[in-house]
Amino acid sequence: MIYFAAEEAINTAVLAKGIMMGFGMIGPAIGIGLIGNAFMTAVGRNPESSKFLGQILVIIAIIELMALLVFASLFIIK
Amino acid sequence: MLSNLLSRFAAESEPAVHITPSDLFQINGVTITNSMLYGAICSVLILIVLITVGRRATVKPKRGLTQFVEVGTDFITNLLETTLGDREKALKYSPYFVSIFFFIMLSNWLGLLPVIGEAFTYNGHEPLFRPFTADLNGTLATATIAWVMVQFFAIRESGPINHLKHYFNGSFKNPITLLLGIFEMFSDLTRIASLALRLFLNVAIGEIIISVFAFLGKFAAPITALPFTMLELFVGALQAYIFVMLSIMYLAVAVKHGDHDEHGEEDHLTLEEVANLEVGKASN
Repeated sequence: MIYFAAEEAINTAVLAKGIMMGFGMIGPAIGIGLIGNAFMTAVGRNPESSKFLGQILVIIAIIELMALLVFASLFIIK
Repeated sequence: MLSNLLSRFAAESEPAVHITPSDLFQINGVTITNSMLYGAICSVLILIVLITVGRRATVKPKRGLTQFVEVGTDFITNLLETTLGDREKALKYSPYFVSIFFFIMLSNWLGLLPVIGEAFTYNGHEPLFRPFTADLNGTLATATIAWVMVQFFAIRESGPINHLKHYFNGSFKNPITLLLGIFEMFSDLTRIASLALRLFLNVAIGEIIISVFAFLGKFAAPITALPFTMLELFVGALQAYIFVMLSIMYLAVAVKHGDHDEHGEEDHLTLEEVANLEVGKASN
């Protein structure tokens, strides 16, 4: 706990949680956006490829693991 | 009186967040937790369902539960076939993968019943039931068994020495490839952690979100928690499919190395055949 001269205490645990959520969710969001971009480009060049490329979109769940790890760390910090 | 009745549906004073299971009782010194109890109930249920449906499957399709199980089996077997290559290998390995798919999906879905949570308590303050996959111990066990089964299938397919050899690019005497091979083997073990964590986090965080939204809508809790329960239905099925798909891909990667020499001569054209093709095209 950081104490100011004016007798206010900053709760650094809440601050840490906020910063961690803010910075942590940038990565997975950009990653999923890049996958969407690649999917759109590929389907745009060859519209029939959406049949077999749609199945591989479950790769988003692998990236989602990183976002969930950040969210779960919220409950580890006291 | 209506407000009294409505307040029975309201959540507690704070959202009930459970990450770890709670111990219930002991049998011969072994502690049984509430998620172990629910996992046992789910296992017995899945045994009864799958054996009954397996007996009732006929050539002409039937409606109802049989159809649902048949659709799931077809789905996983087709996935096995497209990943592994031929149909008989897919049929050889499909019992384990189909069972684990249905077990994880049912265990995720049974966690959405109103039975879970603070409604039924054991000692007055500990919930009696807790979903099996919302517990890190449960998913670690599932992921460990999946990894052991994949190694067992790979060793049965290509022999123990060949299976060990595909971690190493070159010979054993070269120190660089030896070290890289050992690192590869260790990073194989991190697949257990990633499979377990993905399943556990998706299900546990879904439960936390449902309980937070049930707490926010105090007497309208059944309405405010409804959209996220629908989302959790979809997420439960999707995470079961991803678990099984990743296990199948690990098996395909571990097995495909041994089959390189069989398909080599059939698929690739030799130099003379390519030259004849070019000559044929040039003369036309």
